[in-house]
Amino acid sequence: MEKSIENIWKDGFLKSDVLIAPKINNLYNQKSIHIIDRFKRMFRINLILIIVFSFLFLIVSYFVGIPIMGAIFFISLLVLVIINKRLLNSLEHIDKGENSYQYLKEFNQWIKKQVAVNKRISTFFYPIIFLSFILGFWFKDAQGVFLGERLVHKILINFPDTYLIFGIPLIGIVIVVIILSLLAYFGGRIYLWDVNIVYGRIFKKLEELMADIESLRS
Amino acid sequence: MSNDFYKTSILPFAGIIIKLCRAYTNSQEDFEDYYQEVCLQIWRSKENFREESEWSTWVYRISLNVCLTLLKKKKNNVQHFVSDTVPAEETETNYAFSDESLNLLYDAIRKLSEIDRAIIMLYLEEKSQKEIADIIGTNSNNIGVRVKRIKDRLKKILDGKIN
Repeated sequence: MEKSIENIWKDGFLKSDVLIAPKINNLYNQKSIHIIDRFKRMFRINLILIIVFSFLFLIVSYFVGIPIMGAIFFISLLVLVIINKRLLNSLEHIDKGENSYQYLKEFNQWIKKQVAVNKRISTFFYPIIFLSFILGFWFKDAQGVFLGERLVHKILINFPDTYLIFGIPLIGIVIVVIILSLLAYFGGRIYLWDVNIVYGRIFKKLEELMADIESLRS
Repeated sequence: MSNDFYKTSILPFAGIIIKLCRAYTNSQEDFEDYYQEVCLQIWRSKENFREESEWSTWVYRISLNVCLTLLKKKKNNVQHFVSDTVPAEETETNYAFSDESLNLLYDAIRKLSEIDRAIIMLYLEEKSQKEIADIIGTNSNNIGVRVKRIKDRLKKILDGKIN
């Protein structure tokens, strides 16, 4: 007669050698391999690197003569850091002692919020960075004149019929607007594409776990 | 971690953690990583224990939640999120209990989905339907049906292998 799985379980664990705990050394100082802790570490490192980079860029931009670009870059990155620091704080509140559904739901919601917020930021971030680049070089000092004005002057010498709006060639404005629109359109999509490459498997697995539990809740 | 905390609050419940970690891993190395991580997370989360449930139930919750969302090392060093079902033949030969029937049962359990693994483990630990529902966070009415379905699947996998 076949043994029931209950009996296999009970009989199997009656033997004393089956439940020996592995040796644990210096656990308190171990680096966690848990996904939430990894996210926390990664977020912290990224935010620190962004702060350091934005400060360095601000200083360098001043000495290179493009302080407007440095300032816009600095403010944009600082806003990015503040928003993501808030997201990091909310990650701290996920309680691993909750029931599995609640825990997975909170973690899933955090990931979705994080992705949605950063997707929206990317929509604005890339165009702002491009605009800061244009403004930075436009207002760069070139022997007492702005570099942009100097460029317009040269264009007018070669193409006297160039149409200007507020002293800027219309064709230049059109090109910048097209690039800004493309960056705004693709910014969020590039972010999503990037995130899916790195975390696609995690997102899929979380959805599957949630769906499995939800089928039991209905 | 204070050695006292490990000895008094974790070690008495090591059996629960070992059984669960075994169900979500396929090698000794992974098992030890999972066990260590679960212990670390229990220690880190201990301030959140509100005595609304038994300490053992809370330990079970933490263990399960950690196992469900761990990055698992694969042999090619690529890390994957949570354990996928892996064929029994990929299980390391040294990663086994001395009881052959128990090994076969564990191999069968590892073929289930992550949530089904949790449910059957809790059932085999003689938790009530309500306790299982509380730990998973679901409706207790459906647990009985799911347990029956899982047992049928396990029987099918084990069919003829155990006498």
